[in-house]
Parts: sequence; structure tokens; C-alpha cells
Amino acid sequence: MENSHPIVEMRNITKTFGSTRALRGVDFTVMRGEVHALVGRNGAGKSTLVSALSGFTSADTGAIRISDTRFEATGQNYAALIRDDIAHVQQTPRLFDHLTVAENLFIENPLIRKKFGVISHKSMLARATALLNEWNIDIRANAHAGELDAGTRQLLEIIKALSRGVPVMILDEPTAALSNAEKRVLFEHVKTLKNAGISFVYISHHLDEVFEVADIVTIMRDGQVVKAREPVGTLDVETIANLMMGEETVRSAREDHTDKSAPILLQAKGLRVNKFATADIDFEVRRGEIVALAGPVGSGKEDLAMILAGQKKPQSGQVTSPRGTLPTIGFVPTDRHASGYVGILGVRENVSVGGLDILSGPLGFIKGRKEADLVAQLARLTNVISSSLEQPVSQLSGGNQQKVVFARSLCRSPDVIVALSPTRGVDVGAKEQLYALLRDLASKGLGVVVVSDEEDEIEQLANRVTIVFGGKIVDELVGDYSIKDLILHMEGVA
Amino acid sequence: MSVQADTTSNSNAQDTGPSKLSAFGSAFVAQGFTMFPVLLLLIIVGAFVAPAFLTSRNLINILEQVSVLGLTTIGLTFVVLIGRLDLSLEGVVGFAPMLAAVMLVPAAAGGYGVELPGWMALFVALGAAGLIGLFNGFMVVKVGLNPFISTLGLLVLLRGGVLIISNGRSIYSPGEALTYLGSAKILGLPVAVIVFVVVATIVGLVFQFHRYGRALYAVGGNEEAARAAGINVDRVIWSAFFFAALLSGLAGVLLTGRLDSAVTTQGQGIIFSAFAAAVIGGVSLGGGKGTIIGVVSGVLLIGVINNLLTLAQVPSFYVQASTGAVIIIAAVLTTVASQRSSGVKTRT
Repeated sequence: MENSHPIVEMRNITKTFGSTRALRGVDFTVMRGEVHALVGRNGAGKSTLVSALSGFTSADTGAIRISDTRFEATGQNYAALIRDDIAHVQQTPRLFDHLTVAENLFIENPLIRKKFGVISHKSMLARATALLNEWNIDIRANAHAGELDAGTRQLLEIIKALSRGVPVMILDEPTAALSNAEKRVLFEHVKTLKNAGISFVYISHHLDEVFEVADIVTIMRDGQVVKAREPVGTLDVETIANLMMGEETVRSAREDHTDKSAPILLQAKGLRVNKFATADIDFEVRRGEIVALAGPVGSGKEDLAMILAGQKKPQSGQVTSPRGTLPTIGFVPTDRHASGYVGILGVRENVSVGGLDILSGPLGFIKGRKEADLVAQLARLTNVISSSLEQPVSQLSGGNQQKVVFARSLCRSPDVIVALSPTRGVDVGAKEQLYALLRDLASKGLGVVVVSDEEDEIEQLANRVTIVFGGKIVDELVGDYSIKDLILHMEGVA
Repeated sequence: MSVQADTTSNSNAQDTGPSKLSAFGSAFVAQGFTMFPVLLLLIIVGAFVAPAFLTSRNLINILEQVSVLGLTTIGLTFVVLIGRLDLSLEGVVGFAPMLAAVMLVPAAAGGYGVELPGWMALFVALGAAGLIGLFNGFMVVKVGLNPFISTLGLLVLLRGGVLIISNGRSIYSPGEALTYLGSAKILGLPVAVIVFVVVATIVGLVFQFHRYGRALYAVGGNEEAARAAGINVDRVIWSAFFFAALLSGLAGVLLTGRLDSAVTTQGQGIIFSAFAAAVIGGVSLGGGKGTIIGVVSGVLLIGVINNLLTLAQVPSFYVQASTGAVIIIAAVLTTVASQRSSGVKTRT
């Protein structure tokens, strides 16, 4: 394959948001038929760069060429110019919930259009069904997009972009919501399309994916490229991590302090977690342990965690505590954007909303002093970086937003903390800080329940791993285990 | 372990923060003071245009006139803060005092002949208003209706209801118990103004310092996040509709007092002014944003403009049109100011 012909050339691209210089003169080149991984921490400028490339946000200055279209960026919108040259799959799927799968896939697609803009439903359904079969997705083409789970929605978004037949595709964190099987299907298609000459710009926080799927890696830090077009074979995890961080980093290791004799804080008996569950779950959380719930997407592990946290009612069974009254539980929801923080409110208000009852006097008025002290203390504990505690949380980086959600969950000094996807969409540095926080909480005697889809994360954190599958507990790992053990147990082959 | 959770990273990175002036600007806008310079300007202009404007009598007159709109707007703000709306408040302004009036006055004066004792007047009016609010809450929380359609229906229903219970006739002099709040004066100051100021102060304090206020902002900002934080979202929604209707009922009583009659058309059109005042005051129709200080500025702005245009003897057709124009201009100003100061986009 002849790979020497550039299909994308960006020269000296700059972009400023308010006082933040998100891109400081970036050069970026993509060859025809390559998978080009763009890596960097949150806020390094990866998403801004690809948004400038796709026209989703307009670059302030610089020269851009995609395929045969070339132009100078001036801050004006140029998305329409390059509509047929590039497709951009965003981190969060943008589907029309009230339209069917087929309608979503072929929206504004000339393939199914007849005279006068009339749409052929028959041909649309046939084409959609063919696509779904090709991708091994077991849903009807006339199902509503709103009924689908997160993984399928993400795949649909990718298929939609791929079926537009553009020469360049941007995939921004495409696997965040995908199960391992879905990832496999995606990677197969990326490889096939690559061989057909399609180029990919691939953003991911998962370096293992980068090694698996990418040919070329470009590393960004602080709005600049620190390593351009490096063949993936010449890099290793350590090198990439160091270039991302700008300093030596060590991945932290798990601390084991499981104690079988530690008192039980929270106990579930005979739980049916959802209406598909076929068996009862018994589960307990002990003082000072970090227990992870693992399993494929839709296994019921999240349901179990939500029930433990009192956020959801079980189908049957109950959650109790040997001490009689239920312990105070801190809750970190899966999706911080949807249910973690209130974007227009400041850090202070977001944190203290978790403990309004303990912060207010008998008449319900909030004690300002007490609130300020508690919030400052929790912000320090969780390492929130903000210009002030009044800064709106929507302006913070993903990592800091997540720390705010953690601070909120700690407001009422909980005995148990239940964290779902505790580091989703969070950069490496913030990730380690959150891991350190969770370990610190466990060593202080809290029971910590973590739900995660990342084996690395579980292996770094949990003293005990409970594997949930089909609404029941199928396996458990305690104490000393390796990531290989974990994967084998999760695949049910150990 | 490489990173400690308790490393000494300061959460208040002072050096990178905005300058003092722009911090003051942001706080100025966030607290709801945006419109006060405009208000001040209007007052100065007014003093030159109409000599009668800057007299204590006229100023008190303005305050008295805005107190009805003010209470309704404060009520509306409860609902708007949680990202909902309530059109039926206009109906409450007319219905609640009318119900009290027909229960009070003798049959000869258009009443039902129930002739409840005078002290029941407020009880009936506010009780009816509160029940209407609870009904709205029920429709939104339990039945799951969009508040636009459920409160629109109720607005029309209440309009008709006023005609039904009054038999289409206004009731004059419904008795001092009902009219005291809207007509009496203490030391030359109308009681209506005192009521408005007291309510505004209490609600302002609650919004800013009470856990209930905090819950309103949280629910309006992100309902799911509020739920996950342990706030009883349903109860917050119910109560917001309740307080909104209650305050509108009180506004209706003040209006009846000022007119010394319960008029069948009472309150018509007030919901538009209330929305305008709220938006001018910086309340975001998307929810989660707005202060009572801002609401008061919005209400005063509308009151002052109306008063000035009247004093300047602008024909009444023009008064209405220019009020509309001013509303749009003021809303643009508020939106631009809040976007520039906080960088957070809001839907107003």
C-alpha cells in the first residue's frame, strides 16, 4: 500500500477559548490509508484539534487541506466546505431518539432519496438491515434509537459516519461505551476500511487500543504537538505516558488490605437486580475494602451498585446492615454530565448539595461558615483545581468535574462509597489522584464499591473483584491476582 | 504510590484567577445587579423629562403599582428556577380573591350568601391559591404533563371559573378583611409595598441561604444530578408550584384591595409582564439561574417605564408597544451580560 500521499494537512493551527490557548500553532498530517492515533491528557487539545479539522469548531488561524479542499482558517465557520471530505464521530452519540435506527443511519443520505426529495422507506430499511447484519448488531432496523443501549448507540453513530463514504474519519473515544465484542467488530471494520484507502484519526485514552489499531501516533500536550507521526512500533506505554505527562510517571499499584474479619457495613440478601435476573444475589461490603463489580455491559453490575447505593429499588430482596440502620452512602454516578454535576453552579454549590441537611440549621438555613470550611476541605482532599470555588463546574476539565462529584459524595462523611465508572473520560493524572483518593478512603475504614469496565482500573484498585453476569454473581477474585487472572475470570475461562 | 490525595495543591489558584475588576463584574451580574445601572439611568432621565417623576408621592405610587406584579413574578421565579413554567398564575390572581369575595359578601351584593366571617377572607383566597398550586404540582409530577400545557389549560379554566363563581359580575367593596392589605397605609407607606418588600426579602434569603433554595437551583440546573445528590426532586417540584400559586393568590388579594373590588378581568395579561420581569432580571428560562435582586430590578424597570411613559403623556397605544420593545432590549442586555461575565450559555 502506497502511504506517502497526505490526505490531511494542517499547518500552524491556533484556537483560543476566552483566555485559554487550546491550540498553539499545531501542524498535523494524515496519510492516505493510515490509522493515526492522537493521544494526550484531557485538555491537551486533541478534541479541539479534530474539531478544527472537521469544522465542528472553527480554527482561528492556520491553513487546512483535506483531500482537494484547501483553505485558510479565519475563525469563520467552514464546516460546509469539507462536508464531503470528512466525518467526525463525537464522544457522545448524537442520535435522534424518536427516529428509527434506519432513519438515523440514512438521514440526509442521497442514496435513499428519490425525485423531489421523497424518501424510499423500502430501500432505506433494506440497506439498514444489511448494514446491521454486516456489523453483527442484533436489532431491528425500525426500532427507535432511543430504546438502544449505550454501546449500540455508539456503534450506530460510527456506522452512520462510515456509510457516508468520506475519505477521512475522526473517531473520538469511540470505544468508551462499547463492550469487548463490540470493540472487536469495530476494529475489524477499521482495518478493512484502512486497506481500502480510508484514513482514520483515532483519539483514545486506552493505550492498548492505540497499540492494537493505530499505525502512527501523534502526542499532544498543552495545545502543542510533542511527538509527531511516530510509527507505533517504535513506542511503548512508558514512553507515551511520559510524553503525555511531561514528566516521569509510575503507574500506581494496588494496595491489599482485605481483612476477612473486618465488620460488614452493607449486606445484600436475595437481590434480584432487574427483571431479567434469574438468580438471587448475596453480597456484602466490609470495612476498609475496595471491592470491584466487573462484567460485560448490561450484566447487571451497575444495577447492583445502584441498589446498594439506594438509588434504585431491587426487583426483590433487600439491602441491610448488621448494625441495624443503613450506613451513610456516598454515590458517584456513571455519567457525570447527565447526573453528576450542575454545570451552571459553582464548585461550592455542587459539593455542598450532597450534604444540605448537615450543613443547615434547625430552620433550614445553610451555615455559610460551615459550608465554606467543608467545601474547602473536601476540595483539598479530592484535589479540585479551579480558579475559585465559585467557578461554574461546566468550565472545569473532565478530571476536575469528576473530583467535584467525588467531593459531593463525601459531603456527609459516608461509611460506604459507591462509585460507578469512577474515572471515565478522565486523564491519566487525575485518574491516579482519584485512585489515591479511593485507597485513602479505604484505609480510613470506608467500604468502597467500584463499578468499572476497565480491567486496568480494577486491577489497580480492588482487593476483591466480584464478577457479575446475566444478573447474577458468577465468580469472585480475592487478594493477590494479576490482570491476566482478571481477564480470564471475566471471560469465564479460568 | 506516586500521587497522594492530600498533596498540597491549592484549590484556589489565585494567580491564574481573573482580575479584580472582572471578578467584580462577574459577581455583579451573577448577583442580579445587571439592570440597576439601567434603572438608575432611567430615573435620572425621568427626573429631567417629567418634573412630577422624582417626587416621593410618585415613587411610592410606582412601588404600590409594581407590588402585584412583583409578588406574581417572585412566585413565577420559583417555577422557572426549576426549569418549568406556570401560566395559570394569571388565573390565580383573578380567581383566588374572587372566590374569597363571593364567600364574604351577602347575596344582595353578588355573593353566595355564605357570608363567612371577615377573618376567613385571606384564608379562603390563599387556601384556594395553594390548592391550585398543588394541583399543578400533581399534574406535572404524578401525571407527567408538560407544565406548559397543563397550566395553560388551567389558566383558561380559571378564567372561566371566575365568571362562573361571580356570575359574570365584579364584586365591589368586598370588605376590609380582603382589601386591607391592598389599600391600607402605615405612616404613609402602602401596606402592599410592605408586603412586597417583606416577601421579596424572605424569598431572597431563602433562595440564597436556605437549603430549599439550593435545592431549587440544583433541580433547575441538572435534575438528575440533584436526584443523585439525594434531593427529593418530586417534592421540590410540588412545592415550587405551591409557592408560586400562593404568592400569586396574595398578589390577587393586593390587587383587589387596591381596586376595592374583585373584578372579573382581574390580572389579565399579568403573566406576560411577569415573564418579562423575570427574564429582564436575569432569570434563565432554562432553569437554575436567577436571583430575587434581579427579579426586583426587572419588576421595577417595568414599573418605572410604564410610569414614565404615562407621565410623559405618551398615548396609551404607544405605551404598550414601547413596553414590549423595552422588554426585548432589556432581555438582550441581560443575556449578553451574563454570557460575557460567566461564559456560561443560558437560555433566556
